[in-house]
Amino acid sequence: MLVVSNIGLRTNVHLVKPSKFLKSSVRDFIININNDYRYMKTGYYVSLHAEILGNRVIPSTENIVDAYRLPILLVRASKAGVPTLPYLVTDSVKQIMAEFTFPLVIFAVNPFSFNGFKIAQNRSALYRAVKSLSMNYRYAVCAQPLYGEMANYKSFFGKCDVVDKENVDEISRKVYETFNIPVCKLHIQHVGGEAYLCGFQALEMEEISPSDLNVISSEIMEISEKGGFD
Amino acid sequence: MTRIACFVEKYNFSYSKEAEALQNFKQTAESMGHEFNFMFRNGLSEIPKYDAVFIRATTDPLYTAYVVSKTAWELGLKVIDDPESIRVCANKIHQYRLFEKFGVPHIPTLFLNKEEFHHKQISEIFELFGKPVVIKAPYTSFSKYVEKVACETSFRDVAKRFFRRSDFLVVQKFMPSRFDWRVGVLNNEVLYVCKYMMPKGKWKHGVKRRGKPSFVWGRTVSLKRDNAPQRLKETALKACAVVGCGLYGVDIKEVNGAYVVVEVNDNPSIYRGYEDYRDKDIYEKIISQLAE
Repeated sequence: MLVVSNIGLRTNVHLVKPSKFLKSSVRDFIININNDYRYMKTGYYVSLHAEILGNRVIPSTENIVDAYRLPILLVRASKAGVPTLPYLVTDSVKQIMAEFTFPLVIFAVNPFSFNGFKIAQNRSALYRAVKSLSMNYRYAVCAQPLYGEMANYKSFFGKCDVVDKENVDEISRKVYETFNIPVCKLHIQHVGGEAYLCGFQALEMEEISPSDLNVISSEIMEISEKGGFD
Repeated sequence: MTRIACFVEKYNFSYSKEAEALQNFKQTAESMGHEFNFMFRNGLSEIPKYDAVFIRATTDPLYTAYVVSKTAWELGLKVIDDPESIRVCANKIHQYRLFEKFGVPHIPTLFLNKEEFHHKQISEIFELFGKPVVIKAPYTSFSKYVEKVACETSFRDVAKRFFRRSDFLVVQKFMPSRFDWRVGVLNNEVLYVCKYMMPKGKWKHGVKRRGKPSFVWGRTVSLKRDNAPQRLKETALKACAVVGCGLYGVDIKEVNGAYVVVEVNDNPSIYRGYEDYRDKDIYEKIISQLAE
């Protein structure tokens, strides 16, 4: 098992930097640890390189692309039993208003915006959010109803940095089981004692704390002791 | 009867020859007893009502077309272009790595990493490939984001722009030609063969007009697939075999009698009077594949 990481981990497992791995032709089971796996970023190319070499790798490029494309994330997560809310992919404000009532949470579905979401409490705020996130109506957005409160949680190997918060732990575990993305941030909506998956995002390097590093390192040690994944 | 959704964007109807080809698809499907409806991005919730999805809007994992393809795939529908083909064809790094792995003859290629982009590397590239060289962003399509550079200053300028979206770029040897072969392939069979001519004095099929947003395109010369060189068709099929079993347009250069693959494109252009000029059955073959 080889760990390729751009994060300084505290582990005895064999670990290499992405730049070194990308020049190698190593044949092994690869765990790709990166704060940012977005399409066409280094984290993505590490998984691609491992796949081209014929290695088993987590996460796979297919899962990376799917997890960061919100409508696909929701379709696949929902199939895996993760609670999700209704959503609409469109660039039409009228269509969103016909389907849902305010307030709404709007995510971008375009090649350039990856960060966060906008909340629209009324019609004018919705127009502003859609215009901005669709890059002047050039791309689609993903609208979801806002029934409760939005929150985000860091997730490492399917384990969340939260204790006893509704079913957040279960969502985090199922999202990890579905997409195998070891490091990510989940956007979750809390509605009447239930949690619903709304979005998925990369972590900034600064968001990873020393205690997070310990969590990631111990997870890797555990996988290593088991001799890899089942 | 198969219910086919054709995913399009408004721009697919802005060029008359493409709009006419789309109408040909619809008429052909209906004459074969199938239902064929155009689906725009506001109609994605309709996907489960169909048996097959045919994507004509530009594909990329970051565009809505990928969401359509993957959603349909997850629902078990027949899809052209399938998500795997989109992922391989839309990322030229992925594609050339597969060509290297499976021995597909292609233009001499190097990959440039954003983290290791410095003077020495540029000098080594010029030394290896000579001047000029071609820099391609992995997400290139329709001749966009492909530029020729002959000095370090322009190399840095182009690379800096392309590195904004991708941490890796493709650098290739410049191999000028009067035309690129375009071989249309469907499910491992040659569908049509054309020559994409370069506009006079230009080095690629589509060139942006200086100071204007519009492009000038070279002519398309079509020939019957049965009359195309056998080795050309074999090269195209070998390139497609490493990508998948979908609908592809393979760009090939003929250099000193040898055929080298420029790239395999999913979602190839099909315009009335161009790609379909010699082999009129391409609409029927694609619809049959969707309805299979």
